[in-house]
Amino acid sequence: MNLFIVDDDQTFVFLTKKTISSTKIESQISEFNDGQEAIDYLKSIAGNALLLPDIIFLDIFMPILDGWGFLEEYKLLLPKLAKKIDIYIVSSTIAPYDIERAKSHPMVSDLFIKPLVKDKIIELLNK
Amino acid sequence: MEKSQNINNKQGLNETLVQLKCIFENAIHAIIVINPDGVILYWNPKARVIFDWTEEETFGKKIHEIIIPEAGRNEHLSWMEQFNEGKVVNNTHEISALRKNNTDVNIALGISLSTINGERFYICYISDLTDRKLISSRLDKQKEFYENILNKIPTDIAVFDKEHRYLFVNPGAIKDEELRKYIIGKDDFEYAAYRKRDTSLAQVRREQFLEVKKSGREMRWEDSLKSPEGNTITHLRRLFPVLDEKGELSMVIGFGIDITERKLLEEKQALYVEQLSLQNVQLVDFCNIVSHNLRAPLVNMSMLVTFIEESTDEQERKFLISKFKPVIENLHTTFNELVESIQIKQDIEIQSENINLEMCLNRTLEPFEAEISRSGAVIERKFNEAPEILFPPKYLFSIFHNLISNSLKYKSPQRKPHIIIETKKANNNIILSVSDNGLGIDLVKHKDNFFKIGKVFHRNPNAKGFGLYMTKTHVDAMDGKIWAESTPDKGTTIFIEFKNQY
Repeated sequence: MNLFIVDDDQTFVFLTKKTISSTKIESQISEFNDGQEAIDYLKSIAGNALLLPDIIFLDIFMPILDGWGFLEEYKLLLPKLAKKIDIYIVSSTIAPYDIERAKSHPMVSDLFIKPLVKDKIIELLNK
Repeated sequence: MEKSQNINNKQGLNETLVQLKCIFENAIHAIIVINPDGVILYWNPKARVIFDWTEEETFGKKIHEIIIPEAGRNEHLSWMEQFNEGKVVNNTHEISALRKNNTDVNIALGISLSTINGERFYICYISDLTDRKLISSRLDKQKEFYENILNKIPTDIAVFDKEHRYLFVNPGAIKDEELRKYIIGKDDFEYAAYRKRDTSLAQVRREQFLEVKKSGREMRWEDSLKSPEGNTITHLRRLFPVLDEKGELSMVIGFGIDITERKLLEEKQALYVEQLSLQNVQLVDFCNIVSHNLRAPLVNMSMLVTFIEESTDEQERKFLISKFKPVIENLHTTFNELVESIQIKQDIEIQSENINLEMCLNRTLEPFEAEISRSGAVIERKFNEAPEILFPPKYLFSIFHNLISNSLKYKSPQRKPHIIIETKKANNNIILSVSDNGLGIDLVKHKDNFFKIGKVFHRNPNAKGFGLYMTKTHVDAMDGKIWAESTPDKGTTIFIEFKNQY
């Protein structure tokens, strides 16, 4: 399982990785500090199905390019991607409009409010 | 009988009268022929219809005794006298006359002089004014009715001919009666010249008129004028063409309705909407702060606690506990920043002072000295147009600090920082601009987030997204305006408008 975590909160990334490793599911995790870093990398590997992730955990509130900005760019990149990727928004948001927007966004598979608990991760990674 | 014979003797005259009789018998006017003494020689059937006297009854009598009422006789006689002297010729008089039954009848009396066989005769043409009076009084009433509507309607109305000359204006449009009379047949340019006014409005009106004339369609617009009391009065105006039966333009009607009250209401509504949307933006900001800056660290701490509880390895527990420190520090900073911004929003009592910008800037630059000399930054100041700003000193100091800090922080690696700080007068306000030649940002992408809390656009470890948020908070608190211009890799200019400076 190839997994990207796009989040500027270092502590959260550390804790999520720890949770994933505790599931004992074999996975390869790449971290990105903001949307721009992630989109730049995705562009560079767009044609390579081996390197492309199965799942992206995407934060909303990030510097440089936030989660929504990432999704805009991702939409343009989509036709070039060699693989289908599930994007999950993982956010600490409590704003109803964020939740509504994430749920109705065509590029987004689902939305999870932080923290990302172990059971949820197992369910996702076993899909 | 004597007089009859007298006329019969005058053979020629008799013949003439017989001839005249033929003509006058069927005339639509009453016709009475008299001699210079006022003696009636002929009385036609129409005269009988008006006065009820027959020709036989009146023959040989003096006209004033028959149809002129007692009160008007002297006047009539003096008029006749003047007439005899040749002073009044072919004049028509409107007078009140008497019928046989002593009732009044209004008549128009015209007299013309004829000389037949060397003798003078007067032919009196008389028409009954009763019918005309009746019609004209009805017309007057109708006129009054329409004028009442046109004059009292709270609308200004003007009617123009094809050449844009006034055919009619109501008092709503021009109050002064003299001016209202003057303008008929004139155009706006003549009127402006007469009133010694600028012709720019006349020019606008002419263009609108020509447009309506050309398109054949109605035109609507709103315009606002200052009343003599200084209030703004707004009118909804319409100009529409009126076509004749051939489809050709016969006139153009313009009218305006005072919509000042509606306009004021609309403006009030717009203000409320603006306030509401501003409050909504603040609410969204607050939601973001709570979500990202407060809830996120709490989530992290609760996750850490869970891991620590589950862990049995002492080494690992220590490592996890060490992870608390940055989270708590972050929370602490956020907390302090929030308190600071809330204090500004609550401190409505804060006093403004006249601040010398040169001095304020010098003080601001002190903590940056080392950084300025390290980076070789040049800081240019142009305060001569507005050397002072009226503002709370604490706020202005913070604004300068944040803006200069940003310009130094986001400098281009290729260039030495060049910062220009300038003030300019703008009516009652002063516009401060701080421009740099730094990294700049793509405002098309980031314009909604530029001044928001926690928004960072460059990978800089010291970027927290708080400086511009605080600057905006300071400016907003004093009812000012802040905006930005920026081009990636060219630089950024932040503008701040300080209100009510003079």
